[in-house]
Amino acid sequence: MGKVLKKWWPLFVLPTVLSFTFGFIIPFFQGAYLSFCKFKTINKATFVGFSNYAAAFQDPEFAHAFWLTAAFAFLSTVLINVIALAIALALTRKGLKGTNAFRTVFFMPNLIGGIVLGYIWQILINAVLSSVGAQLLSLNTTAGFWGMIVLTLWQQVGYMMIIYIAGLQSIPSDYLEAAKVDGANAWQTLWKVKIPNLMSTITICLFLSLTNGFKLFDQNLALTGGDPDHMSEMLALNIYNTFYSRVGAKWMGIGQAKAVIFCILVVCISLVQLKITRSKEVQQ
Amino acid sequence: MAEIILKNIKKVYPAEKERKHPFGKKADHEPKKSNLQVTDEGVVAVQDFNLTVHDQEFVVLVGPSGCGKSTTLRMIAGLEDISSGDLYIDGKRVNDVAPKDRDIAMVFQSYALYPNMTVYENMAFTLELKKVPKDEIDRKVRDAAEILGITQYLDRKPKALSGGQRQRVAIGRAIVRDPKVFLMDEPLSNLDAKLRNQMRAELIKLRHKVHGTFVYVTHDQTEAMTLGDRIVIMRDGYVQQIGTPQEVFNHPANLFVAGFIGVPQMNFFDARLVHVGNEFHVETPTFSVSLAPETCMKLSEAGVDFGSGQVVCGARPEQIELARPNESGAVRGKIVVSELMGSTVHVHADVDGAEFVLVIPTVDFSRNGGEDFLDGGDIWFKFEPNAVHLFDKATERNLI
Repeated sequence: MGKVLKKWWPLFVLPTVLSFTFGFIIPFFQGAYLSFCKFKTINKATFVGFSNYAAAFQDPEFAHAFWLTAAFAFLSTVLINVIALAIALALTRKGLKGTNAFRTVFFMPNLIGGIVLGYIWQILINAVLSSVGAQLLSLNTTAGFWGMIVLTLWQQVGYMMIIYIAGLQSIPSDYLEAAKVDGANAWQTLWKVKIPNLMSTITICLFLSLTNGFKLFDQNLALTGGDPDHMSEMLALNIYNTFYSRVGAKWMGIGQAKAVIFCILVVCISLVQLKITRSKEVQQ
Repeated sequence: MAEIILKNIKKVYPAEKERKHPFGKKADHEPKKSNLQVTDEGVVAVQDFNLTVHDQEFVVLVGPSGCGKSTTLRMIAGLEDISSGDLYIDGKRVNDVAPKDRDIAMVFQSYALYPNMTVYENMAFTLELKKVPKDEIDRKVRDAAEILGITQYLDRKPKALSGGQRQRVAIGRAIVRDPKVFLMDEPLSNLDAKLRNQMRAELIKLRHKVHGTFVYVTHDQTEAMTLGDRIVIMRDGYVQQIGTPQEVFNHPANLFVAGFIGVPQMNFFDARLVHVGNEFHVETPTFSVSLAPETCMKLSEAGVDFGSGQVVCGARPEQIELARPNESGAVRGKIVVSELMGSTVHVHADVDGAEFVLVIPTVDFSRNGGEDFLDGGDIWFKFEPNAVHLFDKATERNLI
């Protein structure tokens, strides 16, 4: 078996390598190249240097989308993780009945696609807004922002909760019993024993929720579509709109440049976050 | 002053209701692991547990796995609820007192050191929670580290320590609290054999340095014999015998204790007790052993009703001596196998289907180049007077 694998491994690796190359690596570098071009189709591209990037940085809507996205990503990350951990702690308590039912219920929103969720919540939120006499989502920037926060929480808390439950269950019960004998109350046990031993789980959950926050697209498109006047438009939607909704050949290149900036940004932020939380992880 | 009194302690784990498998499959039934009693309330892990642990006494709970010894310890610690009965520490009923308020310290089998804290922080944690002043914490931690020889590791995380060092830290964490009661749950069983012997000796020394009452759980009878002032032998949730190491070794209360205490295990054989005048002997189809006068006296005093006279006899391997061929009272066996243990050899001999183990000094064994003890060869042996223990065949109780 081992010998056969040693001889034939390239054959088994080939499908993945091919699809990864043609589906990701080549388009990625092609896209990076196109961000320096003016183009209509990828065959009719003329090199224009950094002008696309200059235009992207001078676009006030892009800057607005950036700050909106940053605020959204930060706030949603904090809220998702705090709530998910709180629910996970509640559902891992001993002697609680119906925990499995609760876990299923909390996880369920995750199974519904972003677009569908966006439209469902649009109807819900608009109904609430109209009943209190406020402006509807298409005219209301604050409601748009908070609407997206609520929607994202609803969708992702259950998912992170499952990861936190797995993390909590992997903490040896001896630690908790030792803490009990040592005289720690529930709050002290949480901060001194549970959370430090949960750092690897926290790393994963922060990474997922932070990148999800930055990359949010479907929900943004379906809930507000960026209305009113691009005020609730986040980075991914801004890039999409730049690319597809503007008239004129130059916008394609600018959209492409924005996409590259976006990619670098997300990678950098995630790396910084990973570095910070990884350093807090403990090995048993 | 810390006396622990356990009165009629009982622990029942409620039976889990049979749950339907979500996909309609039948859940596999777990094989029965022990002979624990199962009642309507659930599985009875411990029952009729009565014991008074005196101040500064070292009591060892010992028994095979699943006998309820750890459960008992955890009930004393407050990590398990007591189903019924009373637990007193220092005269105060503590059934419903939280672990932290029982003035106990516990050493876990896995050590349970917090991996996110250094050795120092691990030991200081409990004192910090009690809001002990910083300089006092420092003094106590350093004192304990000194006693255990771990001062140079105080800044390390548990991961950077060996098993033996972690064990010391776990004990150190218990010492700094200066508790009335030390509870230890198989603290040495994760160590290799050599380190275990070493730590066992250190525990004996430690006990004289720190004054506290110890309750120690182990499945290893050697640990129990060497550490305990008294030993509590448990089986299937019941206490079998409580006594000093000498008592349980010399006068095991029943067959189980006789077989559990002592290495190599006591030899057992079925026999008939015969009473002729003032003399008693035990007879098997192939040989007979006369009992020592003291044993006979005790038997007549006890007025045991022999019924059919069927008994189980026990003789410790050390109390069987070699005999010359055809010597009176000697038994002939066939050597099955010999195990060289170092200074002694364990010779397994077959007598009519019953196996006997003899302990022979290696010098004697190899006197003729081992020629006298070839596998398959004959071996003659006899029992020392007083050596034979008698157990009732039905109740398994010691008759003497």
